[in-house]
Amino acid sequence: MRAYITYFKLKFISSLQYRMAAWAGIATQFFFGFVYIMVYVAFYESGGNHLPMELPQVVTYLWLNQAFLALVNQFTKDQELYKLIKEGGISYELARPKNLYFMWYFKVIGQRLANVTLRFLPLILVTSLLPKPFHLGAPASFLHFLFFLLSLGLGTLLVTALTVFYPIITLLTMNEKGTVTLIITIGDILSGIVVPIPFFPRFLQIISSFLPFQYISDLPFRLYVGDISLQYGVFGMCIQFIWIILFILLGNILMKINIKRVVVQGG
Amino acid sequence: MKIYFKSLAMHLKGELEYRVDFILSFLSQILVFFTYYFIIIALFTKFEHIKGFTLYEVLLCFSIIQFGFSFNEVFARGIDKFDDLIIQGNFDRLLLRPRNIILQVLCSNSDFVKVSRLIQALIIMFIATIHLSIDWNITRVITLLLMLLSSCIIFFGIFLMAAAYCFFTIQGLEVRNVFTDGGKHMAQYPIGVFQKGFVYFFTFVIPYAFVNYYPLLYFLGKKDSLFYAFSPLLVLLYLIPCIIIFYWGMKRYTSVGS
Repeated sequence: MRAYITYFKLKFISSLQYRMAAWAGIATQFFFGFVYIMVYVAFYESGGNHLPMELPQVVTYLWLNQAFLALVNQFTKDQELYKLIKEGGISYELARPKNLYFMWYFKVIGQRLANVTLRFLPLILVTSLLPKPFHLGAPASFLHFLFFLLSLGLGTLLVTALTVFYPIITLLTMNEKGTVTLIITIGDILSGIVVPIPFFPRFLQIISSFLPFQYISDLPFRLYVGDISLQYGVFGMCIQFIWIILFILLGNILMKINIKRVVVQGG
Repeated sequence: MKIYFKSLAMHLKGELEYRVDFILSFLSQILVFFTYYFIIIALFTKFEHIKGFTLYEVLLCFSIIQFGFSFNEVFARGIDKFDDLIIQGNFDRLLLRPRNIILQVLCSNSDFVKVSRLIQALIIMFIATIHLSIDWNITRVITLLLMLLSSCIIFFGIFLMAAAYCFFTIQGLEVRNVFTDGGKHMAQYPIGVFQKGFVYFFTFVIPYAFVNYYPLLYFLGKKDSLFYAFSPLLVLLYLIPCIIIFYWGMKRYTSVGS
């Protein structure tokens, strides 16, 4: 266990070095947040029927998405892992007497936590001071906030399990551009980054509830704004837990199978 | 110009060497890209219009922006991926040759898989115009063509600026996404629906409004002034500062070695 925690620390501390990139990221996220929100402001001003969420709820949801993007997004591929596979560095990894899966898992989670640590505070602080309609609202209640934190933690574990899963597939296919990119794009949409899940057509909401993606960030953020009841929150966290276990197990098994067949590239 | 087409042909041949890979990526691009249109359609099931613009009007607007963006991804990929040239030190080689530098950068790369997005944009545009019952006449046709043209030009300008930015930072930081992806995301809706400050910014600093708002108003018959119809031509002016900035940045360029 200690070895894995060292991996985590190593990645966490080294990722904290990229402060310039973090500032650039913050600026980008502010801009995207404003753009997304302005679209909704314009839509809400034009009126609609049976809207699933209030405007302030949507705004808060979108800001949370931007603030924690570095933690929960699915589109950052850990280039280091893909490089290992494509350029043969994996042979060094295999020489280490540790479980490769968990080495990777702790690396990825360390990087994500470091990236979000550098970014989320300025966003939360500034947006909560903004005037309406761009204001980041307070959580629905103290319990909702507690549940939000819990499910965000679980969401992080889940998204990490997913991000580690993709390079394992790549061990066999050698090219992540086809299938993996496709899955990531679908996952991106279904995680509610641009359009919160309640705005989806009915049939898609049902399909989405059977997939893991919306449990990464949509669940915690909707808990925060109070769009989801606490009872459903408990239910949702159980589902998160099941997906985490499932993907870690699946990842481990697939890793064992693929490692036997892996061809080391380059020299 | 001949050199450019020759290098395009070479890139195409190169990509077609991996035929199965090419076809698969082509198909997956179409699928992936449909999701963007899907987002707009999904929102319009809950809302009837956005500041007076209906679903098909927004789709028309988006397809025009998408067309310009993908056009540059295919034919100006070298500028889009300019940071690669700088980081790997390959830019130095280009500087040695006695040809126009921008032309050479254009020749350095291209991505024909993205043609799928071009086709898709044209299909969506076609569907949208059918549903809109446009009062066709010759100026409307010209306006539409001008919109497509200006959409290509504005993204070319933005890509050039982003490339110039690489001269200073070496790395292509996330900030450039603000102007490429962020701008694209904004401009999928007619710029006029946004708040005042942003509208001014995207009229006078980066003139998206002349691509997808003023001419659109004329095209849809919401405004009659011919100024609106030909306003996309103003985007041409925007190229001038972009090119100047690029050359200015190039003067300060110091090689990173290879």
